Amino acid sequence: MSFSLTQILLFIIAYLSVLFAVAHLADRGIIPRRITQHPATYVLSLGVFAGAMASNGVIGMAYQQGYTFLLYYIGVVLMFILGTILLMPLLRLTRVYQLTSMADVLTFRFRSPLVGTCVTVAMCITLLPLLALQIQAVADAIHILSGEATLPSEGSGRPNRLALLFCLIIIAFSMLFGTRRESSQQRNTGLVTAIAFESLVKLSAMLALFGVAVFQVFGGFESMDAWLLNEPRVHAPLEEPIHGDSSRALLLVFFAGAVCMPHIFHMTFAENHDSRDLRTASWALPLYLLLLALPVLPIVWAGIKLGHNLPMDYTGLALGLSLHSTAVSGAAFVAGLSAASAAIIVITLALANMCVNHLVLPLRPLQLDGGSIYTQLRWIRRGLIAILILAAYGFFIALDGRQGLTQLALVAFTGVLQFLPGVVATPYWPSANRIGLLAGLAGGLSIWFFSLLLPLLGSPHPEVLSSLYRSLWGTGEILWGSATLVSLGLNTALFSLISLTARTSEEERVAAEVCSMDDIARPTRRTLTVYSAHDFATRLAPALGEATAEEEVSRALAQLQFSREENRPYALRRLRARIEANLSGQLGPAVAYDIVEGCIPFMPGDSGRTEDIYLIERNIDRAQPHFTGLAADLDNLRRHHRETLDKLPIGACTIGADGEVLMWNLSMEQITGVARNDVLGSLLDTIPAPWNQTLRAFLDSSEESSLKTEVVMDATSRWINLHKTLMQETGNGDSVILVEDVTDLEMLEEELLHNERLASIGRLAAGVAHEIGNPVTGIACLAQNLEYEEDESEIRHMAQDILKQTGRVTRIVESLMNFSHTGSGSGETELAPANLADCVDEAIHLLTLDRGARPVKFSNLCDRELLVLADSQRLLQVFVNLLGNARDACDEYGEVKITAQASEDEVRVDIEDNGCGIPLQEQSRVFEPFYTTKDPGEGTGLGLALVFSIMDDMNGRVQLVSPIAEAPNPGTRVTLQMPRTSYGNTFQV
Amino acid sequence: MYINRALLLAIGVVLIFLPAIESWMISSETHWYRPYQLWLLAVVATWWNQRSRYTDEL
Repeated sequence: MSFSLTQILLFIIAYLSVLFAVAHLADRGIIPRRITQHPATYVLSLGVFAGAMASNGVIGMAYQQGYTFLLYYIGVVLMFILGTILLMPLLRLTRVYQLTSMADVLTFRFRSPLVGTCVTVAMCITLLPLLALQIQAVADAIHILSGEATLPSEGSGRPNRLALLFCLIIIAFSMLFGTRRESSQQRNTGLVTAIAFESLVKLSAMLALFGVAVFQVFGGFESMDAWLLNEPRVHAPLEEPIHGDSSRALLLVFFAGAVCMPHIFHMTFAENHDSRDLRTASWALPLYLLLLALPVLPIVWAGIKLGHNLPMDYTGLALGLSLHSTAVSGAAFVAGLSAASAAIIVITLALANMCVNHLVLPLRPLQLDGGSIYTQLRWIRRGLIAILILAAYGFFIALDGRQGLTQLALVAFTGVLQFLPGVVATPYWPSANRIGLLAGLAGGLSIWFFSLLLPLLGSPHPEVLSSLYRSLWGTGEILWGSATLVSLGLNTALFSLISLTARTSEEERVAAEVCSMDDIARPTRRTLTVYSAHDFATRLAPALGEATAEEEVSRALAQLQFSREENRPYALRRLRARIEANLSGQLGPAVAYDIVEGCIPFMPGDSGRTEDIYLIERNIDRAQPHFTGLAADLDNLRRHHRETLDKLPIGACTIGADGEVLMWNLSMEQITGVARNDVLGSLLDTIPAPWNQTLRAFLDSSEESSLKTEVVMDATSRWINLHKTLMQETGNGDSVILVEDVTDLEMLEEELLHNERLASIGRLAAGVAHEIGNPVTGIACLAQNLEYEEDESEIRHMAQDILKQTGRVTRIVESLMNFSHTGSGSGETELAPANLADCVDEAIHLLTLDRGARPVKFSNLCDRELLVLADSQRLLQVFVNLLGNARDACDEYGEVKITAQASEDEVRVDIEDNGCGIPLQEQSRVFEPFYTTKDPGEGTGLGLALVFSIMDDMNGRVQLVSPIAEAPNPGTRVTLQMPRTSYGNTFQV
Repeated sequence: MYINRALLLAIGVVLIFLPAIESWMISSETHWYRPYQLWLLAVVATWWNQRSRYTDEL
């Protein structure tokens, strides 16, 4: 039973076409998103780890070493089960900073393009054996299926032309698969779905072979067990314990391979869109690999039972040939083909991306006039894919069939193992530096190159090398295990020692902090040289071209959900970081860093020592699920304090020394009407008016408090009390401002003032009626007489009398109107020169209207020319209240004297009565609202409180002394102190 | 910290009992699937440990 070469090649093309169709349908959305975005698809795509080694190599390994073959899977299983240790920190880094390969991660961490270049070159070399393994597995399978019952021996001509054909086909499909997306940072849904499909095909084929082995070859499990009991030589390897240097080294290399291999790194991190998928993979991928590993031993035993001349790696094909079953041979071939093609496609794609970012772009900048940079990048990637596969083919030719699949895999995995120290140091060792990393890699890879790679190729002096190795470490497997441990040991030792002794640059230190998983990254608040999102595209255009720069800025703005009018410094810093991350996904972190640093620099001399508190808090909020123990307690405490600040019934905000708004609590939102999200991160001067001027003026003033500051919002006045304090210990000069809204209190005070005034009018009503009644009666009499009077002069005289009486009425009514409307509604105190004596006279006149009150004697002894700086209407209210109180305190022989003494800038007014006085224990309370010593119904208790309030508004003071004379009429003296002025003076309202 | 304390405890327990587990694994001539049973146990334990995480933590 055999197939023609044409049939096999057509089958390969058909199979890869199906894969391409799956990718295309997934990209077009014809395969539903619930399938392409399902965690199972992501998990299956990670099955790319199981390349031809899983479909072929492990069978030979299991035949020779029993359960040791399981280490190939267990290494990966351990990495994913312990995913939280290394995978989650790396996923965080790759997601946040758009890093798509290990070279990106190490370049970002060690801030060195040289690191990226070295890692890329080393990775390409170390992966050659693994790519050759895939080519060899498929080429040998084609050779066997085409009718050869054995493989040609070493040096007698391998199926090289078959391999070349396979390589050309896979180059075409890899180009189609890997470069469908313009940008390497976009999730390649088609690729993920196609690789997941391949994993399913691979698993189905292996399970089919499992069924054939158990049921067709042995006739069931019981028969297989019985056969095993009778074949001690078959069972013997299974009784060997899995330990020793080689086994430990095996476990280590496969463990490291799960994160360091570029194709697994690409599928695990670059194609991940939700960390939950990685958590699902932590148990689902081990389950998948369990199912993939389950058929291995029965297939080996079936091969032994049937007996065949092929290498044990190809036992699956041998089963088909022995059973004369096209289906079994086909299943075995499909398993190998799907495993190998998936591995080649993803490895070359990942390596091509690394080469673009770390070899091509640093050496050959993109041509801005050569069309879209995305198109240029796509063609560069395509060329690199072809070069890499052809290089692997060249390596395969150079091997000339001297090595089995397992040996090739072990050499490749050992080479990749050398990157593990750098990867582990990225999240866990902030002291590591680039010199140490490069020295460690150089040491480890040198040992790997001379002890493993050169012998693999049959170096020019194999005998010399062999004898050298034998004398050093032994031979064969022992040599491999020793070489692996020694190379890694030297690598780690050099890395550690040099990192500890060599100087670490400042930018490396910052990057280490960002990558460190023990610390939340502490972003700093640095000032940019651009002031709006508009400027970004202009600045980037010289480096990226106008169209690409515009596109990158728009993309970053959309991702951050910022508008183009954004000008908050905080937002611009985030925009800059986002653009750098996005460019990092396209061009690699080194090139992206150079472009952004060159086009959008920070202010010179701004060292960024001030921490970006707002961003730090956002980061802590996002990292909260990771906190345990003391960290969780501290976080709870932080949340409690944050909530306390937010819910504080007084507005609180923090302004940085550079004028940036760092905190804005809920009360501030309510008081100012400015939403927190709109103002945080803004400069104080750019927040909406009038708050920018109000807060800026207060911040710049030397006063720590400002009471009853008036703010006009939407043509409405509001009054606020402002207090501030400087945070010197932790805030680097930040200021905390407290804003207290006292508008209601101010309005209430106004209302009380008005009510008191109305109450005074009520008390005056009877006297007013009497005062108005007399002239009205007089007018009525004069009018009656006027009707009968004929004497011209008498009539004129009577008319003058009438006018005199109406003038009297008018004056009374005007006084009342004036008093009742004093200051009502506006709430404003307008200070102006006011004649003190006139004001006292007016108050006395009003009080004399009250006929029911005691007829005390008022003596206004004030200088008629004396002017005070006051609101005359409010001052009238003060005198009405004080003189009214003085009158009420006197008996019918009472006398109230008003005197005034003027100094250079102040006037002191004394109002003395000879009334009953105020007991000492009540003197401290008389200025409290609603406190009165009068009988119920006679006083509101607001008079003196309003006097105090009005005098305070007019920058005056009020004092009270009692007694001022001997009993029985101790009397009281109220002293007012007010600023003195004159009509020529200028004064400030 | 990202590292799960239950996971660290499990690693410690496995390391302590590794020799006993290995002896049990290779002691039978017909129960060749014992390593797979342990493997499945690890899968179930990992699933149990991860099942309560609902949010994208990044």
